[in-house]
Amino acid sequence: MQITGMYWGAKLLRVVEFPTAEVLGPEASADQIKGLIERHGEVFIKPMFKGGVGKKGKAGLLGRAGDVGTAMKEKARLYFAEHFHNNTFSKAEGVTFEGAVPAEHEVYFSITDSTEYRAPIITITHHGGMDVEELPAEKIARIPFDPLTGLKGFVISNALKRLKAPRELISPLVQYLPKLWDLYHQYGMTTLELNPIRLSPGSNGRLLPVACDFKCALDEDDPNWKRLDLPADLDASSYSDFEQEVNQLRTYQGQSDVYVINEQGTITAMTFGGGANALVTELLGDAATISSDFGGNPPYAKMHDISRIVYKYWLEQSNVLFIIGGKANNTDIYETFRAMADALRDHFNTYGSQPLYVVVGRGGPNLIRGMGYLRDTLDALGLPYQMFGHDSAMSEVVNFAQAADRWMAGGGREQLVQRLGLA
Amino acid sequence: MHPQGVAAFPHYYVGIDSLAELATTEDRVCVLNITGGESRSVTPVSHTFSGGNVVCGTAPGRSGTSMKTATGEIPVYDNVAEAIEAGHRFDVAVVYLPPAGVRDGVLEVVRVNPDLKKIVILTEKVPVRDARVIRAIGQMRGIDIFGANCLGIADAHNRVRIGGALGGSSPEESLVPGSVAIFSNSGNFTTTIAVYLLTAGWGTTVSLSSGKDVYIHYSAPEWAHAFHHDDRSRAAVMYIEPGGYYEHDLQFDKPVVACVVGRWKSKLTRACGHAGAIAGSGDNAAAKEEWFMQKFGVDEVFTPENPVCSDKGAVVTNISHIPIAMTAVMAKRGLRPDFEPRGDLSLKCWFSNPQGLKLPDELHLPLVEAVAPYHEQIAGLGEQVGVVFPRQVMKDASGASLMDPKSQVTRIHGTSVLDASTHTFEENLVQSLIREYPDLNGAPLANVALNAFVNQSGNIGLAAVEAARQAGSSPNTALSAAIAIIGPNEVEASRRAVVVLMELFKKSGLKDPSDTAFDFTAQLEAAGSGDAAGVLLSELACTRGSRMLDAIDARGARSVFIEFIKALARQEGRALRGQVVLAAITSHLGWPALMRKRISAFTLRNLPWHFRIFSALVGSAAESERQSAGDFCGVSEQQLMEQWSFTETAHLALLGGRPDKEALSAFSVLLGLIISNGPGTISAQGVKGAVSADGPEVPERVQVNKGYLGFLTHTGFAHGGNGFEAISFLLERFHGSGLNNPGSREHGLDLKQMATDYAGEYLAYKKRAKAEGNISYAKIPCINHPVFKGEPVNYDPREVFVNELFSKRGSYNVFLDFYHELVQALYRAGVSRNVYCVNVDAVIAVILLKMLWKPYMAGEISERVMESAAFTTFLFGRMIGSAAEIDDHTNRGRNMDTRTPASKCSYVG
Repeated sequence: MQITGMYWGAKLLRVVEFPTAEVLGPEASADQIKGLIERHGEVFIKPMFKGGVGKKGKAGLLGRAGDVGTAMKEKARLYFAEHFHNNTFSKAEGVTFEGAVPAEHEVYFSITDSTEYRAPIITITHHGGMDVEELPAEKIARIPFDPLTGLKGFVISNALKRLKAPRELISPLVQYLPKLWDLYHQYGMTTLELNPIRLSPGSNGRLLPVACDFKCALDEDDPNWKRLDLPADLDASSYSDFEQEVNQLRTYQGQSDVYVINEQGTITAMTFGGGANALVTELLGDAATISSDFGGNPPYAKMHDISRIVYKYWLEQSNVLFIIGGKANNTDIYETFRAMADALRDHFNTYGSQPLYVVVGRGGPNLIRGMGYLRDTLDALGLPYQMFGHDSAMSEVVNFAQAADRWMAGGGREQLVQRLGLA
Repeated sequence: MHPQGVAAFPHYYVGIDSLAELATTEDRVCVLNITGGESRSVTPVSHTFSGGNVVCGTAPGRSGTSMKTATGEIPVYDNVAEAIEAGHRFDVAVVYLPPAGVRDGVLEVVRVNPDLKKIVILTEKVPVRDARVIRAIGQMRGIDIFGANCLGIADAHNRVRIGGALGGSSPEESLVPGSVAIFSNSGNFTTTIAVYLLTAGWGTTVSLSSGKDVYIHYSAPEWAHAFHHDDRSRAAVMYIEPGGYYEHDLQFDKPVVACVVGRWKSKLTRACGHAGAIAGSGDNAAAKEEWFMQKFGVDEVFTPENPVCSDKGAVVTNISHIPIAMTAVMAKRGLRPDFEPRGDLSLKCWFSNPQGLKLPDELHLPLVEAVAPYHEQIAGLGEQVGVVFPRQVMKDASGASLMDPKSQVTRIHGTSVLDASTHTFEENLVQSLIREYPDLNGAPLANVALNAFVNQSGNIGLAAVEAARQAGSSPNTALSAAIAIIGPNEVEASRRAVVVLMELFKKSGLKDPSDTAFDFTAQLEAAGSGDAAGVLLSELACTRGSRMLDAIDARGARSVFIEFIKALARQEGRALRGQVVLAAITSHLGWPALMRKRISAFTLRNLPWHFRIFSALVGSAAESERQSAGDFCGVSEQQLMEQWSFTETAHLALLGGRPDKEALSAFSVLLGLIISNGPGTISAQGVKGAVSADGPEVPERVQVNKGYLGFLTHTGFAHGGNGFEAISFLLERFHGSGLNNPGSREHGLDLKQMATDYAGEYLAYKKRAKAEGNISYAKIPCINHPVFKGEPVNYDPREVFVNELFSKRGSYNVFLDFYHELVQALYRAGVSRNVYCVNVDAVIAVILLKMLWKPYMAGEISERVMESAAFTTFLFGRMIGSAAEIDDHTNRGRNMDTRTPASKCSYVG
């Protein structure tokens, strides 16, 4: 799950007492906005997107107002703003009003885990407030550190010295930035980015770092972020109903990863293994309804549940039910095939027969018993099928499934409808 | 700070200098969570393949036990410290712990074992937070860590497999010694690539499944170093997915085929499959293809049509291109494959059925004989009759029933009890055993069979039941006496007949036993010349047998099996006994499911036994004075067999008289709703314990009748007998109300006022009880539900279903109407904070009360009889679910699998 923006960002930063710009949500009244403007001189109005959305400023999705009237106009403009970035379309649901933070310095700061160093790493520059990718390498410091000792002040200090950052920045940042490690490490984050942190002069002239924008990614496999009590639907918009239903089955025993590829797809692939998932989805392209990985030896009950959900959402529109994986190491083919077959029979019992071409490519323990069980079920249901062992190239089996899809689309489906007596 | 390992890595610790050190014959392994689901099947295979390299394992609470393997037992301890104290020494830890336990497990094994050199983490979904700590610990202590979310390491030359299941259950099939090392982000593809390489004549040295989490603890840079230092490895395959910069700076001196997949993943906004396979713009699949192409000095991806490669390597994007790419790259160095190609990767169809459709040539593939050993297994499939379920511990588990904890609706063989309640009693009895409902031909046959044996007159069992009743035993206790008598010898003739019919017809091609055009000449001949006739026929005429055949004729039911035994009797000039006709009928019912492998051959064999018990339980529910030779409760046996459904017979036995259409359908609903509440319900637990104790691994020893005794002894006044509470409650409410016909809307009662009055009365009682400190004051039965609560107005979806069903049928029940008024009145009176639901249990009570109201008001039956009838109705319905559990546990269970380990028991004295 990803979170962007200060509405939730400010709440999270408060957990570790990191100063933030003052933020009001979409529910703020005119009086509250007026008060905000009086305290800060002006406000920024930003659309609220669910999930990770970048480059909003560049797309003009940022309002600025020195009076309530302008603020309200900007609210109306941005409330349902639409944004397209990195192949992803997003639609805003609300705005935030953020008090302006006067400052001479803007700092970019992030923590993430680096695959180069295989350690947590900070990225910092005092040339913040812009896309960090656009800065030359010498203006950015990327410093790995030991997670057992955590992010210490000296790491920040050394980084800023290397960057030749103005002296007055160093002490406040050394004081405040290590707090972010607590938020990052103790609450299950995999990325935390503040850009900009504006260094605002306090009453004693000392600079105070104030977070003015926020982005983080939370680790789905880490229960620690559940302690933050975030609302369940915070990132729900990025999951379809189907994905959410399958996600409820997410346990460590057996995979249940799914991703909707094309809601109009005609091949529904039950894929086993991360590798098969990559290969099959790539070859099927937009013909696929979903990308899935059900490997990891799911027990019968889980596989039955997964199949039931997949069939419920996708079978009606599908020409081909495609069961595909390599030569399984540990996944029991009999158990998984039995579950898929039983769920298919139950599905037909509940929703009635439907035309479907079944193509199978698989290897692994109890392979023939599994194929035999599926065969008997498909025979009983009257569905055409072909099953291939692990000594048939997986890509060739994918090609075969595509040929079956083409045949079904080109009249085979009608033929099968007749054959099943559904006409 | 980290200890100094291999000099080539000054900035971090790496202990492995050569792939030859990854999995050696000297390595000794401890498996953490050795008895976990995955390890349980994998570790014994690894241990045996590797010549016994696992010295011990841990599993909390299992100290003192052991894991059995083909090469001896592996001792199990509660924790690593205990294992070390017991004298075990190991240098490798394999981690199968659940994700939340991985970090602590690693910290512990590192802390207590100074000899540790490698840790292999199989667990998926380890939080990144824990991975970063694990990495740091490994670095600090100088330990190589593999994974997480990997499938471990296998060395084909050393015949050693550590952690994980590379090569599956038959490692030697895939792990053939050769000269290619494999590094793969995908566990499954590690094995699949090894299998694919064989088709071009390449064997393997070391296969490493690296895992593809964000942290890959042992990854490409250190693997590449070890690859170059392993003399056995002449070349390598790398299977690489997007995400991470692990491969960016690799340099190769030996040839490598890199398979980079996942271009489509750039469309994703979150990981699907491997957690670490989500990339930014710099580390996506396209970028990685480019990295490798630069290393190899090629400018295109290798395909069979465009075989671009250099002597340094090739980049492919499809794993099936790996073998020919490898051969092409090696040929540029003048190197030949390790051995002759084994098989090929062309499409080979093992199973196919176009179902008579006109398919184009590209889909019309011939069947190909599978490679060994699969071809023998496929041939074996043809020999096998019925399904063979894998055996497992069936404590609290069932392959027959499942209760959805959210809806509280139980499914029996996939059919919800709500849907089951729209079927007849006999249909549900059949479905409980053969997992599907009988067709229009099967139902009359079932009725003949069940009614044929219902009359218990003259049976000692009935006398025993009567004596038990007289002694004050509850209905379940009394009925047990009759069931105990139907032991295996009682049904042996039927069971033997089923086996004979199965043997004769299993390869006959018979799929639909209603197809009386089926030619059984060959079977007739075989039966005449072999032992079959001796089993199926008798010298003496049997009245029951001939009556059953007459009844089948009278009902117009058709069956190949019935026709066959009749033809055989004619041919041999001998007679058919009732037990054999029963066997032919049950064979008919189970045959399609047997042929489709939905049930086992053993289930088919036991069907007559179950049927006899169904008949006996219903028959014994009627008092002995209502039964005589040829007559059951005033109806002749012949009439029962020819004209009565078993549902009607059950009604006759229990309530007297033949029900009209409405009463029949209400009675069926009643029985259907009671079928099962899943394997956790006490009656199911009784069944499962009874089967488990007989030892289902030798299914012949399981006494089916004892399974029903388990069911009967696990019902009682609180479970099954409590249905009367609601009846009793309603009797009090309606006593003296002048109600004549509870099925008429014109009952003339002001139900709302009755409910309001009672709600006021109850409120006063409740206040008084509380004031007296009595917190266990009497609750109104069958309202409010622990699951269906908390809404302003609550509904039990099962009650709603039945209510709607009755509405559709135009059936009315004043008692149910009253219940709905009551929950409203309780809310209005302030007894409840919201409107309680009416439970499905209330439905059961109101149906029964409606049936019994008139005879009760006429003084024909007492409250005691009514209580007994309520309890026995429950037993009839629950018998259906119990049959399913007995058969399921017999087919799937292990000996004594319902016991609770001592560690899970508590002493409270």
